[in-house]
Amino acid sequence: MRRAAGFVRLLLAFTLLVGCATPRGAPGAVTDLKPGERPALDSDEAGLWMAVTRVETSLKTSGHVVADPALNTYVQGVVCRLAGPHCDDIRVYIVQTPHFNATMAPNGMLQVWTGLLLRADNEAQLAYVLGHEIGHYQRRHTLQAFRDVRAKANATLFFAALTAAAGVGYVGSLVQLAVLSSVFAFSRDNEREADEVGFELMVRAGYDPQEAAKIWEGLLAERKAMKDSDPSIFFATHPPTDERVATLKALAAKTVPAGEPELGRERFLAATLPFRAVMLRDEMRLRRAAATQLVIDRLLASGAGPGEIQFFQGELYRIRGDTGDDAKAIRAYETAVASGAAPPETSRSLGLVLMKTKENVRARAAFARYLELQPNAQDREMIREYLRRLD
Amino acid sequence: MDDRRRWCIRLIATGLAGILVSGCVQTTASRTEVWQRIPTTARVVLMTPDIELSELTAGGVLEPKADWTERAKIHVVEALSGVIGAKNANLVPYRAPENDPAREHEHNQLIKLHDTVGRSVLVHHYGQLKLPNKDGKFDWTLGTDVRVLREDVEADYALFVFMRDTYASAGRKAAMVGLAIIGVGLPGGVQFGFASLVDLKTGDLVWFNRLVDPQGDLRDPGPARSAVTKLLADLPL
Repeated sequence: MRRAAGFVRLLLAFTLLVGCATPRGAPGAVTDLKPGERPALDSDEAGLWMAVTRVETSLKTSGHVVADPALNTYVQGVVCRLAGPHCDDIRVYIVQTPHFNATMAPNGMLQVWTGLLLRADNEAQLAYVLGHEIGHYQRRHTLQAFRDVRAKANATLFFAALTAAAGVGYVGSLVQLAVLSSVFAFSRDNEREADEVGFELMVRAGYDPQEAAKIWEGLLAERKAMKDSDPSIFFATHPPTDERVATLKALAAKTVPAGEPELGRERFLAATLPFRAVMLRDEMRLRRAAATQLVIDRLLASGAGPGEIQFFQGELYRIRGDTGDDAKAIRAYETAVASGAAPPETSRSLGLVLMKTKENVRARAAFARYLELQPNAQDREMIREYLRRLD
Repeated sequence: MDDRRRWCIRLIATGLAGILVSGCVQTTASRTEVWQRIPTTARVVLMTPDIELSELTAGGVLEPKADWTERAKIHVVEALSGVIGAKNANLVPYRAPENDPAREHEHNQLIKLHDTVGRSVLVHHYGQLKLPNKDGKFDWTLGTDVRVLREDVEADYALFVFMRDTYASAGRKAAMVGLAIIGVGLPGGVQFGFASLVDLKTGDLVWFNRLVDPQGDLRDPGPARSAVTKLLADLPL
């Protein structure tokens, strides 16, 4: 009986403790950020801004950031068209990495990964993703998530203490799991809200509402092609679910665009085509042929720069090396060359596959063409050696 | 019942010991073997100190505190000027190159390099992961590219200071006491920092010190000065 009374006292003590340790602002109690608004120096939000400003300082000088002024001006321009008065609050950093992602920090540091630029078909799709990130910023989702984690960590400590006192330690870990999973659920609520904001912003800016669902459909297809084997963090927090696609499609069906809905395809291609070969090369390095094939299919269907795409299609077959891939690679390289706009390396790759399949005469011709196109290529001595062996 | 009581007492003792662990300050300085006190007055550029203060919430989440950090920066810079000023050196504040993005980029890369080298010293010189080829020697360097800094700031040495300070919130302190009663030791806040002096001719880290103090407080000028004094205690200038 006395032990029970002691236990209740302990429980009370911890209840009070958690109560007083949960500071200003419960999750969901935040208002939207106003344009130009900065958090008060003594707030938890200012602390978050300080921490991410440190990250931003480091990112500014990172070799992974694409410095090209034209591409940066282009993406920042789309952000401003969507964000309106928030334009000056948001700073774009284009990060060279083949994964699909865009991230928003609470202080307006917006990262756009090149894997996203490779996968968007047009400006409308890019605008939807950027709008989604602007939604995270305006609605202060990082602050909400931080307060949620802080409150839940306090609650976890409370349960861990209780169960330790009751001598049932394993219950504590189960409770921790439950608390953790609800942290993720909270983040998905924020994702849903950001989806809505992103959609609203893109429609208001005059983009075609039908495009929002398409970018998720593409990702969903990639994930299915990889049979969920991709350990991407992005998929864990941004599930490209059927539900998400259905919600956006339903929103698009209800929306009547004010004017002629815009795709902005020409502008998007003009800004991104100069970087596409670099982006595709990065994508190939991931060695996930099934997903990359879907990316290439979309690029081929879009019709821009087919010579370059056919070259990478050939590279995909050559590197994968399944039965019959050599023949497919040769066909793709030859299609690329025939288009008259293939990268010079196409002839080198063609030569390598032909050499492997013992078609020495054609291999010689391909290598000779490569040296003709690139007389100062760094690997010219290697290619000359191949030519000697093929004699 | 007696057994049970003894067991309880032992648990409580363990928990309290957890709170009181190593209540003393630790500093351990290192220097290159060739280092000699330089006879003339040295010009030392103080690189922007890297300081962040946080609160440790009851549940163990670190909450960065902007207002405390701002205050700490002011106190630490004041203390550094005082301590260095009392030595045979002139302290000049660091200024990034203006209107020269290429030069600014070089500075930033050197600052990042120092950050990486400094952390490596902590891990591989002070920590458990000793590098066999170092054989205990302290011979870390940023390389001769530091001449860029030497030219731009006109200094002989650069002093880098890094400080992280965490404080247990009221809830955390209550939890520490509460859990100690049932035998669970919970860590509280701690002050951690390092300083390094870089020769701007060679790029070598000629002196390095680390500070670990569970009692320190950078939010007030007095304790901040005391922390800086301990950190720079045997700075050979």
